[in-house]
Amino acid sequence: MKRRDFLRNSSLASASLFTAPFLLPSGRAFARAGSRLVNHVVFVLFAGGIRNQESVDMGYLSTQGAGSSGNILPNMLSGAVPGGSLVHSPWAPALSTPLSQQGTLFRNLRYASGPTGHYNGHTVAMTGNYTDTGLNLNLNPDFPTVFEYYRKHSDPMPNARSCWWLSTELGPYPSLNFSRHPEYGALYGANYLMPGYGLGEAAVQYLGGLQTLHPEEANRVKGIKAQLDGFFNQGPGQVSGVKNSDQDNRSIQQLYLDLLSGADTLDLPLPDGVPSYLLTGDGANIATGWKILDRFQPELVVINTTNSDVCHDNFSEYLVALHKADYAVGWLWDKIQQHPVLANDTLLICMPEHGRNLEPNGLVDANGLRAFDHTSDENSRDVFALIAGPSSVVAQGRVVGTPSSPVGESIDIVPTIAHALGFLDAVPSGMLPGRVLDEAWA
Amino acid sequence: MHSKALSGDGAVFQSRHQPWRSLRNLLFLGIVLLFGACERTLERDVIVDNLIYGIDTIPVYSSSAEKDKLKTTTQFVSTAYSQLYLRPIPSETLNELSLLRSAHGDKNLIGELVISHFLADDAVLATLTTETEMNTDPEAFVEQTYLRFFLRLPTAYERYALSRQILSDPETTVIEVYRAFLLSNEYLYY
Repeated sequence: MKRRDFLRNSSLASASLFTAPFLLPSGRAFARAGSRLVNHVVFVLFAGGIRNQESVDMGYLSTQGAGSSGNILPNMLSGAVPGGSLVHSPWAPALSTPLSQQGTLFRNLRYASGPTGHYNGHTVAMTGNYTDTGLNLNLNPDFPTVFEYYRKHSDPMPNARSCWWLSTELGPYPSLNFSRHPEYGALYGANYLMPGYGLGEAAVQYLGGLQTLHPEEANRVKGIKAQLDGFFNQGPGQVSGVKNSDQDNRSIQQLYLDLLSGADTLDLPLPDGVPSYLLTGDGANIATGWKILDRFQPELVVINTTNSDVCHDNFSEYLVALHKADYAVGWLWDKIQQHPVLANDTLLICMPEHGRNLEPNGLVDANGLRAFDHTSDENSRDVFALIAGPSSVVAQGRVVGTPSSPVGESIDIVPTIAHALGFLDAVPSGMLPGRVLDEAWA
Repeated sequence: MHSKALSGDGAVFQSRHQPWRSLRNLLFLGIVLLFGACERTLERDVIVDNLIYGIDTIPVYSSSAEKDKLKTTTQFVSTAYSQLYLRPIPSETLNELSLLRSAHGDKNLIGELVISHFLADDAVLATLTTETEMNTDPEAFVEQTYLRFFLRLPTAYERYALSRQILSDPETTVIEVYRAFLLSNEYLYY
């Protein structure tokens, strides 16, 4: 080989080392800036107001003096199931090893400040800031959501399809996919879906027979729209909500239309032999979340469950809802661990948005069990959090915190997610008053 | 609490009534009454066509700069429906489509699908200008379309530019032009 050819070839080879994309195990071409523990985080807001007495304390009916104690969350927690006097039909767990053994349990974690309302609790968990004053419903929160921190402070900036917020109900919850903060907002928001309406009867009726536009037609419409938009001057702060790229728009529309037309179906978090009419709204939400995880492999997903809020007037149904939501969480983790991209690269975090009162409210259900509200007493500020993940990342089977010495706060989940996805250091100081729950790491 | 279950009639999920619908309806009724009142108050001399509710269509706005408020979901759905079907939207349809739009974060994405549903309906297709009419007199078509959807007349340059764009691609259809208007940023505002 001539010297000139050698020099040229060797310099090209050297250059290619710096310019060729490095394929990561997840299939991603480039590693993002910032050190990551995992590439996917699923945060299940195990909401509806959950008392530690019925979750980590495993009190079942004993706190009412009406029967045995026992664990009704066998997918999430280790512990013997109730021995008798059952008010729920037990479902065999979806997991052979409970999540607490596949991660770290923060047994007593504080919702330290502000009213223990559902929307307040969601806002605290998703913004990492307490809300001490009453909230105007249907207004986006003041502080940025975890989605906005994730998108704005990851480099390169992820697209909107990389993060999702799924809720079981409408009301104020659609407002939690981005904030009103002047430095963040819709530009950095997440996709939002409430499956009950978004994929419900009306969606089938109105959208079931549709197809996505032919690309040529879509291009002509896009061209005319671009011209119309060019004549209309509204500031960037006036955008009406989250916007996906054209390509992502088509792929998300295709998912919806596939589901609405029956071309694709949802797997349901139900044990074998259990009929589909026993699926709860919580289960439907998690089933839809799994479909999105499976198809798009987003990096950050927040899903809530809320059916346990029936505890306001029916303690027995509260226990049933808890048991079914626990099954759905276990089912979701099992699905994640079977996925070629998500397995061993996903962190699962579960936390109630707040607890419930120590004292009952005076209502009694058909089984004679007393009901509980959540009116900001100390008991309603006592919750748990569970962080599960790969053994190389998360300490397995560790339990931290006691009733007399709680560890962690509700506002700590956002910085913990930010740390896991490698963007915490880029978040401006003072924005997140909480801390990373470092006790969870291996 | 609102629980959902798989529906036996083909729906992916079945949902229950939510009590705040009533409040939403009342708010919408108020907005519609207010909007209607504004339309009368701002009546101008230019009367182009009978398009909306069988009433003479008039420009409500003298320019797009007057539009500085985002339409609510109910306003968006009801105006799109009425401007395509040329009749008010039935309350049940408004409820269902408003909830459907509220259930999605990307309003443009779900708006495209809702508008596709409208534009596939024979009742809407019967109201369309024909492609022949559009191509024969594109400036008149542009003016009518601005009035129909933006409730204003185009500027001279807007009229010229869109007419030219329509003529530059013979494959352009009336439905595509309507779709672009309904998906435009200006249509999101009032």
